[in-house]
Amino acid sequence: MSSGDLKFYYFDLQARGELTRLILAAAGRSYEDIRFGFDKWPEYKPKMILGQAPVLELADGTQLPQSLTIARYVAREAGLAGSDNLESAKIDAVVDTQKDVNETYFSKVFPEKDETKKAEELKKFLDETVTKHVENLGKLKKAYSKDEKYFVGDKLSWADLFVFQSIQALLQAVPEVKGKFGEQFKPLMDAINGNENIKKYLDARPQTAF
Amino acid sequence: MSTYKLYYFNVRGRGEVARLIFAAADQKYEDIRYEREEWVSHKSEMPLGQMPVLEYNGVKLPQSAAINRFLANQFHLAGKDNFDQAKVDAVVDTINDMISKYRPIRMEQDEAKQKELTKTFLADELPKHLQNLEGLGKLYGSGGSFFVGNNLTWADLYFYDIAQHILELDENIFNNYPWLKENRQQVEKQPKIAEYLKNRPKTSH
Repeated sequence: MSSGDLKFYYFDLQARGELTRLILAAAGRSYEDIRFGFDKWPEYKPKMILGQAPVLELADGTQLPQSLTIARYVAREAGLAGSDNLESAKIDAVVDTQKDVNETYFSKVFPEKDETKKAEELKKFLDETVTKHVENLGKLKKAYSKDEKYFVGDKLSWADLFVFQSIQALLQAVPEVKGKFGEQFKPLMDAINGNENIKKYLDARPQTAF
Repeated sequence: MSTYKLYYFNVRGRGEVARLIFAAADQKYEDIRYEREEWVSHKSEMPLGQMPVLEYNGVKLPQSAAINRFLANQFHLAGKDNFDQAKVDAVVDTINDMISKYRPIRMEQDEAKQKELTKTFLADELPKHLQNLEGLGKLYGSGGSFFVGNNLTWADLYFYDIAQHILELDENIFNNYPWLKENRQQVEKQPKIAEYLKNRPKTSH
């Protein structure tokens, strides 16, 4: 399969693009990883279906917007979205739960300009949101996992990659969060870091601010 | 035979799309509605202490989007193949972007402030989301009135439900968006939907 089949347009950042890149890496799927700086965005924006990025473009030019929609689509194509409808739904439930926490960070902590207020929001985020979130992820894992590692069943899915990426991104932004996750995700993180395809990608990917 | 139970409050909120999907599919389910006081004693039974929750053959699933997508897939209301399903998801996500801007405004306690924020939302925020949705409908909708392909999917049901909240802010809003107006009319014309809309409980939101 030539990389002309698939084009992924996003900024030269991890942010909302990295999950799809990880899924494509895990799948061993080649694609054109089109990255641009903010300065180039005015050139790309009019070519993007909703004037937003990321966008996935198929060989025939059809475009898909929306980061999680793109991720789910490539995951399904790659067999990383569950073996039946119920497994896919359990995966979606884990993804949505992680998404809620990411959105809380990006709406309450990240944009806060006032230093004092930001510290307050961060403390609340760490003490309340993250604590509850780790509990919730644990509950879902207990209900849906068949082994000690992966969130759903006994196979890697894009839910695992989303939690992996989100934890990494959060650790980079807020090192204080480190202790919060305890040991319960270590088997998962180890498995992902040890996955041959993913390891290859992680070793080679550009280092970006976030 | 599969069993379906939907647990939610006695409102439309984040539960109504699932109910619309069940209606469109003519699928029997237990429509469990808890009043606020009742909910307290059931909270610990739910995976994340939240609702809606779908119980499918005894397995509990949280998160409204996951529930809606699961049901739509069960009843062939999700798109005919992976790519169509992705287009449906893209429309749903775009609707979510729109409503996520409105939810904080709805939570605003100060009446005067809420009025101000609503005005700004209607003037500055909402139009671009509605334009985006019309754009997606025209691009993915194969020339018809449904968002993706030529068939009803849960994207249409989701838009129908969310639009009802928007109409409460401005009942004429869709006069400027003829494609969206027509889309909603096609949804409510579907016989099973029409019947459900006629008979469903009237709730505040």
